[in-house]
Amino acid sequence: MAYDQSVTHLPRGREASAGMSLEAKARICRYVIIAAIIAAWEIVPRLGLVPRLFLPSLSSTLTVLVAQSGDFAVQMLVTLQEVGMALVFACGFGILFGLWVGSTLTVRKALLPVVSALFAVPLVVLYPLFTAWFGIGSASKVVFASVYGLLPTVLGTAAGAQTIDRQLTQAARSMGATRLQQILWVTLPASVPTVLASFRLGGALVIVGVVVAEMMMSSAGIGFLLSKYRTQLNSPGVFAAIILILALAIGFDLAVQAIERRWTGSRNKAAGRPADAP
Amino acid sequence: MPRMSQATASIRKPHGATMSVVGPDHPAADAGKTLEVRDLNHTYNVNGKTTQALKDIAFNVSAGRFLSIVGPSGCGKSSLLMMLAGLLTPSDGTIAVGGRPLTKPDPTRVGVVFQDASLFPWLTARRNVEFPLFLRGVDKAVRREKAEEALALVGLERFADSLPHELSGGMKQRVSIARGLVQDPPILLMDEPFAALDEQTRITMGDELLRIWEKARKTIVFVTHGLSEAIYLSDEVLVLSGRPGRILDRVVIDLPRPRSLEMMAQPRFAELREAIWHMIKA
Repeated sequence: MAYDQSVTHLPRGREASAGMSLEAKARICRYVIIAAIIAAWEIVPRLGLVPRLFLPSLSSTLTVLVAQSGDFAVQMLVTLQEVGMALVFACGFGILFGLWVGSTLTVRKALLPVVSALFAVPLVVLYPLFTAWFGIGSASKVVFASVYGLLPTVLGTAAGAQTIDRQLTQAARSMGATRLQQILWVTLPASVPTVLASFRLGGALVIVGVVVAEMMMSSAGIGFLLSKYRTQLNSPGVFAAIILILALAIGFDLAVQAIERRWTGSRNKAAGRPADAP
Repeated sequence: MPRMSQATASIRKPHGATMSVVGPDHPAADAGKTLEVRDLNHTYNVNGKTTQALKDIAFNVSAGRFLSIVGPSGCGKSSLLMMLAGLLTPSDGTIAVGGRPLTKPDPTRVGVVFQDASLFPWLTARRNVEFPLFLRGVDKAVRREKAEEALALVGLERFADSLPHELSGGMKQRVSIARGLVQDPPILLMDEPFAALDEQTRITMGDELLRIWEKARKTIVFVTHGLSEAIYLSDEVLVLSGRPGRILDRVVIDLPRPRSLEMMAQPRFAELREAIWHMIKA
């Protein structure tokens, strides 16, 4: 009891006198900045400080977004489909492949340097090739975005699979688990935190890949719409498209973070680690 | 004292493959030889250097016996156990369980309990115990029933839905024992299962293990570096030498059962302990 008091007494007194926790202050600060940006977006173009072609006001952007919501919705759906398919290829295959590479010593030694080297290549330069092979429809976007998101997913997952507790796979082996069963039921759940982190990174790159591909050469999708509005000098349209792409990226990120939190909530307690540990 | 002299005398025998160590005959021996190890040798290579880890290992374990393996650290006792589990392939020699050779893990013939329990932290106690059955595609209802049976055997039915981190070290090991026994294998291998536990829990777990052993009627092969633990629990103790590990002797523990803590204070217990200690030290 006495020990308890001596430990908690000092820091408590000082923090209490500060009135508000650092966390709360930071949050207020964040809201103020966001509000300022939104206000500036509306006010600066209205005052004529910046030409409307460069920066249309927030209200005119939102007006376009609402007025042409049907158009945006159709194109957004195309993009969503492409992102979804590319996610399945990039992250689905990338995670399984990464787990295999990471948990098998010989494969890791043989393949990981190759994957790392490929990661350094600017894959965008391959996109014209993909359009030649798969046309300018959805297929070339899905392939490009899959390849784009695949490498970091493989690397991240392999790194995670490499660091899991070997005792667990050995225990599974003693229970007669096949190689595939070990990967699916032991390595995968044991490396969920790193797998989710790779999924988050790979997924973000998949979205970039799809949108960039649509902007360069395509006939549909939100990136295509953005490009089209740009050539028409329709600035509110361009900004509206940007808002939607941002919403897509942020939405994906928040979703994965929510899964991460749910998992680490139960998992970290198990390992006795703080919740913010990798 | 006659047994003692036999134990110490046998150290001086040459360690040929023939010396081997089919332990002293015992009334239970006619119950059938559950585990047979023949002419086992093991070498491994590290950076081009060949090291012999185990040499001329041969022994039988009769059904229902409790055998401990002791030896100085690095003598290969854990490697030997991994071979008995089918997790490690010996360079030479054969291992047979129930008359059939064992070359890969087979949880229906050999259950394994590891030092750190090795429970999957994302599964409840019940799901952990079900896991070997799940791997074989056993029906869900059957799985559940068998897991509950095994958990009841180790006295943990009330904790079936707990996650491993909610259990104490001793309870985790009991779940691990239940997992090893869920497919009713004739043999349970244990690799220093209580080494990570505190002294009190280790003693309690020893008694608990003896209770489970008597109830489930299994053959147990138990690797430990604790001589007292080995003597307290076992029918026989297999003593290995330092690297390369060879069998120095197989000591019959002639203490009556049921064992109790008071026996540790008996002169016979001290004699056995000293005899084994001298073998290992030599």
